[in-house]
Amino acid sequence: MYVLQQLVNGICQGSIYALMAIGYALIFGVVGLVTFTYGEIIMLGAFSAFYYFIVFGDNLILSLLCGFVVAGLVGIVVHKVCYQRFLDAPRYISLIATIGMSMFIKNLAIIVFGSTMKGLPLFFEGQNLVIAERTIDGVRQQLSLTYLQVVVIVTVVVLSIALTLFLNKTRIGMRLRAVSQDRKAAALVGVNVKNTTLLGNCIGCGFGGIAGILLGLYYNSIIPTMGGVAGLKAFSAVVIGGLSNIAGAAIGGISIGIVENLGIAFIPNGSGYRDVYAFLFLIIALVIKPEGLFSRRTGTV
Amino acid sequence: MKLTNKIKASHARDYRSVLFVLAAAALIVAPIIIDATVHKSSYVIDIMVRILFYVIFASSLNVINGYSGQFNIGHAGFMLIGSYTGALLSTKLGMGGVWYWVAIPISGIFTAIAGFLVSLPTLKLRGIYLAIVTLGFSEIIRLIAMNWTAVTNGPMGVKNIPKIWLFGLRKTSSPMVIYYIVLVFVVLCLYSTYKIINSRVGRAWMSIREDSTASQSLGINVNRYKAFNFMLGAFWAGVGGALMAIYYRFISADMFVLDEGFNVLAMVILGGQGTLVGPVLGAVIVNLITEFFRFADEYRLVLYGLLIILTMWLRPQGLAGATNTVLAGQAITQDSSKKTAVDDGADA
Repeated sequence: MYVLQQLVNGICQGSIYALMAIGYALIFGVVGLVTFTYGEIIMLGAFSAFYYFIVFGDNLILSLLCGFVVAGLVGIVVHKVCYQRFLDAPRYISLIATIGMSMFIKNLAIIVFGSTMKGLPLFFEGQNLVIAERTIDGVRQQLSLTYLQVVVIVTVVVLSIALTLFLNKTRIGMRLRAVSQDRKAAALVGVNVKNTTLLGNCIGCGFGGIAGILLGLYYNSIIPTMGGVAGLKAFSAVVIGGLSNIAGAAIGGISIGIVENLGIAFIPNGSGYRDVYAFLFLIIALVIKPEGLFSRRTGTV
Repeated sequence: MKLTNKIKASHARDYRSVLFVLAAAALIVAPIIIDATVHKSSYVIDIMVRILFYVIFASSLNVINGYSGQFNIGHAGFMLIGSYTGALLSTKLGMGGVWYWVAIPISGIFTAIAGFLVSLPTLKLRGIYLAIVTLGFSEIIRLIAMNWTAVTNGPMGVKNIPKIWLFGLRKTSSPMVIYYIVLVFVVLCLYSTYKIINSRVGRAWMSIREDSTASQSLGINVNRYKAFNFMLGAFWAGVGGALMAIYYRFISADMFVLDEGFNVLAMVILGGQGTLVGPVLGAVIVNLITEFFRFADEYRLVLYGLLIILTMWLRPQGLAGATNTVLAGQAITQDSSKKTAVDDGADA
């Protein structure tokens, strides 16, 4: 039962990672460059919600929207500074620029927001959705989902469906996919590659911002340095998923969440090693299949 | 024509060696003069020691990133292994004092083995995949050091690292003596790097960096050279880490977070990857900036970030970087490809 509970927690946590990974894969798809600023985007999304709650009160849906917009706007800045000039340069140049950007944002955030941990308001405190229950030797065991976990999963699923519809059914979405597949060909058939790239980057960052809020709600704590590991996990999920493959990224994210939580369940005193499992999983996955587990084409990098 | 070139070259060499001797003399005499003249001499010498540490770290990272074009961004992991090995050997196995001289190379070798292990899965990987593995490795190592309390003392770190003895000279904890010890290792590190870079091995690395497929077809065993490259970089990072352990006499896993790795990376990039002077220059500049902006301590890292972005905008190959390699953001053209190997040796 305990293991099952950890599996459920893993799926829930994994769905947050999946959302981050989806955003990352979208950015990687349209921009074609790897970013290290994504963790900071996630962090800024979470902090925007923190201030939203202070100023406008506890409205979850609007706060998510706020996170989306703020992260998207930061995405524009990142795009102008780190990508636009370097689209045709070797990839490592923009990558290092994003490392610089990440240091810049993170340390500015520490100054502006303070380096202490902050809590987001608690939603649905203590309310559980009991899935299964049993009693062994008089000890009652429960397999349950907190309402918060339900909200997280529902949000992620809704957003993923919305993105899928957007990419497949609207003209803008099709342009995004076209740019992601082949920039030059897209330009030839009349797609404004520059604006489309910018838009794709903004949407991807927006997803990161929402994921940041969910992460903050889930752990009930946000801190300016939270972006580092979060961004790394998003990146790992995308790499496992085979870069720029959005469905693969989502699966990668969920599997990282599951691996983490099962690792805690099976290895005694292992909770300090949580991130170790995630990264070990990444390395093993890459050794088995160097271009990612779900890639359709070989990696472009 | 050929003769004049030769004469020019020999002039350049004379000029360089004079400059080299002057620099060496300055480095040797500097702490003595500072000690005699400057009021807070130990503070200044402390900065100089720190710069020397980072020269080792940056140069070792440059061996990997600059010369073979493998993109290692988790260098902090190697630094951690080296300094924990040194610290644990001296505290738990009693290899302090004179024995620390043995512990330093052991730390280096141990780190090189770690470098070899990291290079195994990464041989198949390129570019960004390699980068993410090194990053993951660095984080894994740090978390293990943080949580494996029985061996590493966990989050408390390793305290009371014994002093190093220099030929029975027991009072060697002063920054001044450590300065000279580290200086010796810096010279060793730079000299060995210089020798290797200008040998067959170094040329093989550079050709792998410029075009791995072409080098393979020329008969270069790409995998073996890449693995050796990682080991050499890791070795010097380990030696630097072990030296750091005896200087600070306290180490903890917090000193080797990812940002520390990025910090070293920033030095390499600012100075110029793929050159011998680049990382040295980068380490000096970044550390001096750090000290200069100590009054605005919290803005220091913000400034770092800006500096890195600015470098990428204005001079992506770094201050001392050559302009005609893939690192400079230029495709190799027919005639520049001939020069690359020579120019990149920096002092060739």
